Amino acid sequence: MNLFVCIDDTDNLESIGTGELLENMMREAAVRGFAQSGFVVRYQFLIDDAIAYTSHNSAMCCTAQTDDRAAFTAFCENYLRHNAAEGSDPGLCVLTDDEALDYTPLIAFGRLAQTQVLTKAQAYAAAKAFGADVHLSEHGGSGIGVIGALAGAGLRAGKAEGRIKGKLYPPMDRIEWTTAAFAAAYGVERFADEDGSEITENLTLRFELPTKLIYQSGKVTAVLIEKDGCHLPKPKIKKNKG
Amino acid sequence: MWKEENGKTTFTGGKEAYQDAARIAEQCSLFTEDCEEECMTDDPRSCYNCRYRRWTKESFVCMKGAGQ
Repeated sequence: MNLFVCIDDTDNLESIGTGELLENMMREAAVRGFAQSGFVVRYQFLIDDAIAYTSHNSAMCCTAQTDDRAAFTAFCENYLRHNAAEGSDPGLCVLTDDEALDYTPLIAFGRLAQTQVLTKAQAYAAAKAFGADVHLSEHGGSGIGVIGALAGAGLRAGKAEGRIKGKLYPPMDRIEWTTAAFAAAYGVERFADEDGSEITENLTLRFELPTKLIYQSGKVTAVLIEKDGCHLPKPKIKKNKG
Repeated sequence: MWKEENGKTTFTGGKEAYQDAARIAEQCSLFTEDCEEECMTDDPRSCYNCRYRRWTKESFVCMKGAGQ
């Protein structure tokens, strides 16, 4: 069975971040035979003083494959209970990943979370229609992390754009990188320009800095920029917040 | 580059004053780099990448009140 797993509000100013906690949780889930997981995507939500986020109001979501959904979900709940940071308000969402499901209401909820202040009641109401296909739970504090957890899972299910956790450090002394070679080496599924338009030509690449990938159009995407007549994977996504 | 309001120290440069944010962080003894996925500039040391910045609609608050 394929799932989306999303957590939010698990950190404080001194703890590890929510992305690292998710990676740690999924690593332990794999070691203990509960599930295998994919890459983590970060989703940014509304920045507003009315929301009690730690510092950035983002959620982290990955995919998972499991044979025992109930056992895996119980493992995640227990993990968050014991490993989320003191003073945090953790929320967990485990959502069925199935193309036959119509995620429209959850995608809409995710989009709303990027523009409006939402409540836990709205999150539970949005989840209700999905019955057993969605698990939503609170694991301490005010539990408002369920809002971001559901919103992040909805956005991921809707293939919404987000930053992929981690940086790539391709060997820069290699004589020539091409987009095809880079894709083969690092699992990049798509290249795009800064406007999001797909680049299909096999281009020669140059690297100057560690590279970030994004999840765009449902694919692992490298954004390319042109500099001094060369193409470079964009190292960091400089964006306004909120 | 800072204003004090309601006990909060807010950066007045907004979200795109990359050079100022890097210059201030360079001199700040409390700077601590945030986790990779929350860093937003290529400058390794910048208030924009500090774990003690809390984003606001227009800018960020230094949670350590130490930016000045």
